[in-house]
Amino acid sequence: MAGRLSRRRLATYIADGLVSGTPSKKTLIEQLAAYLIETRRTKELGLIVRDVEYHLAEKGHLTATITSAFDLNNETLQAIESFVKDKTKAPNVSLTTLVDPTVLGGVKISLPGRENDQTIAHQLTVLKTRFKKV
Amino acid sequence: MSELSITDLSKDLRSAIENLESSKNLDEVGVVVRVGDGVVWIHGLRNAGYNEVVNIETAEGVVEAFALNLMEDEIGAVLLGEDSAVKAGQSVRLKGTVLQVPVGPELLGRVVNPLGQAIDGGPAIVTKLMGDVEREAIGVMGRKSVHEPLMTGIMSIDAMFPIGRGQRELIIGDRQTGKTALAIDTMINQAKQDTGVVNVYVAIGQKFSKIARLVERLKQEGVMDQTIIVATSPSDPASLLYLAPYAGTAMGEYFRDNAQHALMIYDDLTKHAVAYRQMSLLLRRPPGREAYPGDVFYLHSRLLERSAKLSDELGAGSLTALPIIETQAGDISAYIPTNVISITDGQIFLETDLFYQGIRPAISAGLSVSRVGGAAQTSAVKSVSGNLKLGLSQFRELASFAQFGSDLDESTKHQIDRGQRLTELLKQPQYQPSSVWQQVVSIAAVTNGYFDTVPAAQIKDAQAALTTKLWSAHKADMTELDKGGKPTPEMIKLIETVARSAAKGFEG
Repeated sequence: MAGRLSRRRLATYIADGLVSGTPSKKTLIEQLAAYLIETRRTKELGLIVRDVEYHLAEKGHLTATITSAFDLNNETLQAIESFVKDKTKAPNVSLTTLVDPTVLGGVKISLPGRENDQTIAHQLTVLKTRFKKV
Repeated sequence: MSELSITDLSKDLRSAIENLESSKNLDEVGVVVRVGDGVVWIHGLRNAGYNEVVNIETAEGVVEAFALNLMEDEIGAVLLGEDSAVKAGQSVRLKGTVLQVPVGPELLGRVVNPLGQAIDGGPAIVTKLMGDVEREAIGVMGRKSVHEPLMTGIMSIDAMFPIGRGQRELIIGDRQTGKTALAIDTMINQAKQDTGVVNVYVAIGQKFSKIARLVERLKQEGVMDQTIIVATSPSDPASLLYLAPYAGTAMGEYFRDNAQHALMIYDDLTKHAVAYRQMSLLLRRPPGREAYPGDVFYLHSRLLERSAKLSDELGAGSLTALPIIETQAGDISAYIPTNVISITDGQIFLETDLFYQGIRPAISAGLSVSRVGGAAQTSAVKSVSGNLKLGLSQFRELASFAQFGSDLDESTKHQIDRGQRLTELLKQPQYQPSSVWQQVVSIAAVTNGYFDTVPAAQIKDAQAALTTKLWSAHKADMTELDKGGKPTPEMIKLIETVARSAAKGFEG
């Protein structure tokens, strides 16, 4: 086995493969799984997936997670999708919605490596910090 | 036509700027992977810069850290607060700035932590300006050679190892040898002699009880109004101990850059190096000699290089540094002491033996040196202290040799007698800095032999009698002498007359 590969290199390989279609998705998954088991790095799987997402976003395949306290209607989701497309210039945007009552209100748009947090919970945390400093 | 093109260009530019600015709606975020011992490892934030501040969103509020390890897969950042609230999975955002602290005259008289927050119970500090904690030192063309004296008020330093404004003079010695006392006396002298020099005292890992005593003393002496204290206690995170001298220097640089003079005291850089070693080991940087990281020299050299005398074009301000280093069993050849000795423009070495013999300040004449201060020494002191250092060093050599027998020739006996008187003369109580004229007349009285009839044990009494007589009867002459000019032959004659008359009362 060659030397330890960085997560970034692994993610680049997987993302390139997923975009080009060669080798097949199944082969890529098997290769990565085998490598992680061999090098005892299965715990890093979550981080590698994040890195793959990041590289796919760079290639125009972007997955955005929308977190809100309540279900969002289609109009809002469409508005968010066009906002994300406008900001990132990514041609392929897919949205994943998540309902989390702890955000209290507002919306959080999470993209690979980037975020727009307009939730009330975030505003309160910022406010709390400013109050502490004073 | 051309006007229309300019309008179009302006519109295009505005639109381009708006487009670029609108992308700011998306913050760059990372996620906490691991945390422990004040160090946090972050996944993401690929655009983070070295020393850039990151904000970690915790349930208790936003906790700041600064990035020190930029690696391919993750970032190692050092927390600026407690790590108890930080947990894996929390979001981390780039702040977009390097570390900054408030700077300006509003800080005078205050005790702050390395982030510039008041810790003296007073109101919050609001300044108009912020200064970068890490800043490149001024270049060659922006500097001028050290030429103005920074009077410490300590006779043995001002006479033998003069310090100039913009100089870096190390104070080194074992524990409990009076290192901090020297620094505090120098601060007090700036107020007593009304030099206008601003003091910045950086306490690195000092007990807060000690800081409280120091503040009280400085208030008593009327020095606190021109002093800033940057304090860290041993219970503070290593990151704050590491930042303290850089933050203090940023505060001092404000005065330097505004054509004023500031004095930095770093008490002490040994603890600073230890804090940096702790951080480096936790960041998994490879350990080197004594487990310090490879860049421990750069740690101190980049700090001390910021002390400088500025050129006239830049306002001729200055930043003088008195770093303190604690040695173990007088070993000045250890790693950190040799590093800082080689960075600074000289050192004042304090010896434990001298301290316990009652010779205080316990300055070793042989091992101490000031490499650039000679050009900055006041003419008055220079005129009387020509071979004081050599004489004192020779005396200490001879005195130890003379212990083995009493068969000494007359010149050796004379040298030993003179040396004993000099040693007595240079003893100086704490918090009592001497002014220029007091130093000149006292040194002249001994080195010129006016006090040769006075027993060594009574030299301090004779000195007190001399200064009292001169001040009461010749105040105008002494005020003139205090300005630092070379004493005239008439002035020397006057000192001789009064000194010989004062000596008569103490003849052995």
